[in-house]
Amino acid sequence: MEFNLSENTTMVADTARRYLKDHYGFVTYNEQLNQTSHCDPARWGLMMELGWLGLPFPETVGGYGGELIDVAMIVRELGAALCLDPYVDLVVAPGKLLEYIGSERAIGLLQSIVENNEKVACAFYDCHAGYNVHKPTSSIREGKLSGQKSFVPDGGCASKVLVTARLGEELVLLVVPLESCEITRYRALDGSRYADLVFHDIVIEDGMILSRGAETSRVISQVVAWLQALDCARMYGAANALYLRTLEYAKTRKQFGSAIGSFQVIQHYLVDMFTDLQQLESMLFMVSVKAELGNAQERDRACSAAKAYYADKAVKIAQQAIQIHGGIGVTEELDIGHYFRLMTHCSLTHGHRDYHLDRLASLSEVNGRG
Amino acid sequence: MNLEFTQEELDFQKSIRAWMRENVPEALERVSALGNMPTKSQQQQWERCLGKQGWLALTWPEQYGGPGWTATQRYIFDIERAMAGAPPTSPFGVAMVGPVIYTFGSPEQKERWLPGITSGETLWCQGYSEPNAGSDLASLKTRAERKQDHYLVNGQKIWTTQAHWADMMFCLVRTDPEAKKQQGISFLLIDMKTPGIEIRPIYSIDGHHHLNEVYFTDVEVPLENLVGQEGMGWTIAKFLLTHERTTIAGVADSYYALARMKQAIEDVPYYTDKPSARRRMAELEVELMALEYTNFRTVAATDEGKPFGPESSGLKIKGTELQQKMSQAMVEIGGLMSLAWDSPSVVGNESFNNAPRRYNFLRACTIYGGSNEIQKNVLAKMLLGL
Ligand SMILES: Cc1cc2nc3c(=O)[nH]c(=O)nc-3n(C[C@H](O)[C@H](O)[C@H](O)COP(=O)(O)OP(=O)(O)OC[C@H]3O[C@@H](n4cnc5c(N)ncnc54)[C@H](O)[C@@H]3O)c2cc1C
Repeated sequence: MEFNLSENTTMVADTARRYLKDHYGFVTYNEQLNQTSHCDPARWGLMMELGWLGLPFPETVGGYGGELIDVAMIVRELGAALCLDPYVDLVVAPGKLLEYIGSERAIGLLQSIVENNEKVACAFYDCHAGYNVHKPTSSIREGKLSGQKSFVPDGGCASKVLVTARLGEELVLLVVPLESCEITRYRALDGSRYADLVFHDIVIEDGMILSRGAETSRVISQVVAWLQALDCARMYGAANALYLRTLEYAKTRKQFGSAIGSFQVIQHYLVDMFTDLQQLESMLFMVSVKAELGNAQERDRACSAAKAYYADKAVKIAQQAIQIHGGIGVTEELDIGHYFRLMTHCSLTHGHRDYHLDRLASLSEVNGRG
Repeated sequence: MNLEFTQEELDFQKSIRAWMRENVPEALERVSALGNMPTKSQQQQWERCLGKQGWLALTWPEQYGGPGWTATQRYIFDIERAMAGAPPTSPFGVAMVGPVIYTFGSPEQKERWLPGITSGETLWCQGYSEPNAGSDLASLKTRAERKQDHYLVNGQKIWTTQAHWADMMFCLVRTDPEAKKQQGISFLLIDMKTPGIEIRPIYSIDGHHHLNEVYFTDVEVPLENLVGQEGMGWTIAKFLLTHERTTIAGVADSYYALARMKQAIEDVPYYTDKPSARRRMAELEVELMALEYTNFRTVAATDEGKPFGPESSGLKIKGTELQQKMSQAMVEIGGLMSLAWDSPSVVGNESFNNAPRRYNFLRACTIYGGSNEIQKNVLAKMLLGL
């Protein structure tokens, strides 16, 4: 067993950290919060130069064949920097989906993502189906798509969307131009841009259906596993940033003539944050390896365990960071509260704590490894 | 031991319930039902309505405009108020400065300020905290120099809730820079329209503007606005902090929050996670019950005329922790629906859409009113003898 990152992965992480330090800070974040499009062309170009657009994909489409852990190390840095660039939502998620589908049409579309000709979002959820990605309420009847999707993280800049729908008994995946949908855009809890889509009898032509049947369910589960692992990576980055900032603050903020870090209760809070953070890091390594396994059961167990743990402990770290900052911690002026919102956000995407504990319990029942 | 209300109390409850049904405006009820906060005019209209009835200054002695109710009646009133979807009363006038004025103020001060509080006409804010004096209030620096017929105030306050709404501020100032920390502090009433006062908004992480910074530059405050004697500010501040408040634990509003949660869970027809959501709610209900019965004991003790001591710190700790847990549960049960931050239309369920704002705001409740860590220090010292 070894817990060391490969040289390659370490390099990816270091580069990401340096890139963000040079090109993204709290000021940029605040500007981006107020913009409706989150795909800054200059930064997107830089990400392309860094190789991020192709990183997780095969060389045959111009990618680098990177592993989930490589992407996770980037996303960790994005979380640490509060960066809202929709890299995961518009590159990793649709890209992996298309790669796993693997048809000529799908690979063509993947290629255009890698080459930065196309921004594609994924629409897995709608507010009438909870976290169940396999039973969408939208459907295709007589060649027309109707229904709706909610919580589509499109960064305010996608032009196409990958949509799940039912066709008779089958689950299908389609690619739909965004302009053919009725769109309501809004800001999500973490500051990112979401869209709700309504489909009014969109005529479905042959090329639009990318995948059908059990295969669709399988590839979506695979991609959702990636996204669950990446949620953890983003939360880890944020939790670590919160810990470092809070530790620093506790050493400098004086009350009653001493640094608040000299009060034992604050020391214990910080020690709790530190020890939780260690365990969160272990869980991140674990899930970054297991979320791309072929064995669905082991994969899902790992993802659910990690997300349930993060929803508990990383959120707790964010709460403590605010508490230790006192009044200043609950203001928009300081980054602490923004990290807190990011943390709450990520604890709810792709399954919240109860969902994952329930799933874990049922998976454990099946394989008896409880 | 009798844990039930008497017949008289039940009749009282019935009459209050009927009154609430008649008098709580529908718009206000809707604001509460969604977990939002009322606007200034909604809040003020409601407090004036209570004031007209003589029900605003609930805890006050009758001679100053209180309704003369027992603590149990006040408790019943509070539950009925919350369950009718009416917001709690702003604490600054009624719960804070009012009792200070009728306890320490001169006859002129009582006559001048108390009627505006009991009628809900005058809005107050609390100027205690400063950038370097939060938990350690006694290190405050805002200076009030005594001149011929006024104090000259210079300095800065921070975290002043509703300073932008307020007509008046009650303020702790340093009148004697030579005296030891606690001793040189005095309690002043300051008209917010006085020249030299500047208010700067602070936005909090629920996205709203409740908080402010307040700057004083050569602000002239008449000498008659000093409450008690010069240097008595710390005694008054401490009196105010432990002043009897049967609503400190927020039991009534937590009951209302629980009812809203129940409603929201039932309103979502497809919801697959209902069993775990209901279990979560049951857990909170148990905690609320423990808090309620602890609160009952203080209510009963108050009815027997016993003073309300450092136990109020215990209620503050448990009550605020529960408020945070409930708001967090609401967000988490909402799941994806809680991700909508400023959607122009409802995404799934509006209560769940609004849940994160309240959750964000309530991170502050373990910080304000004396942080929970400070409350624990107080308990350790005063009750446990540590
Ligand atoms: C929403 C909100 C509304 C408010 N409204 C008002 C208002 O209307 N008027 C007003 O005057 N003030 C108001 N306050 C200010 C509030 O009272 C202070 O924020 C609070 O007293 C804490 O002070 P601080 O923010 O400076 O934190 P600090 O005092 O810097 O504390 C930081 C952290 O250190 C801990 N700590 C400090 N000292 C000790 C110790 N000795 N032992 C253990 N732990 C310690 C604290 O518990 C906290 O966790 C409000 C605050 C908020 C957040």
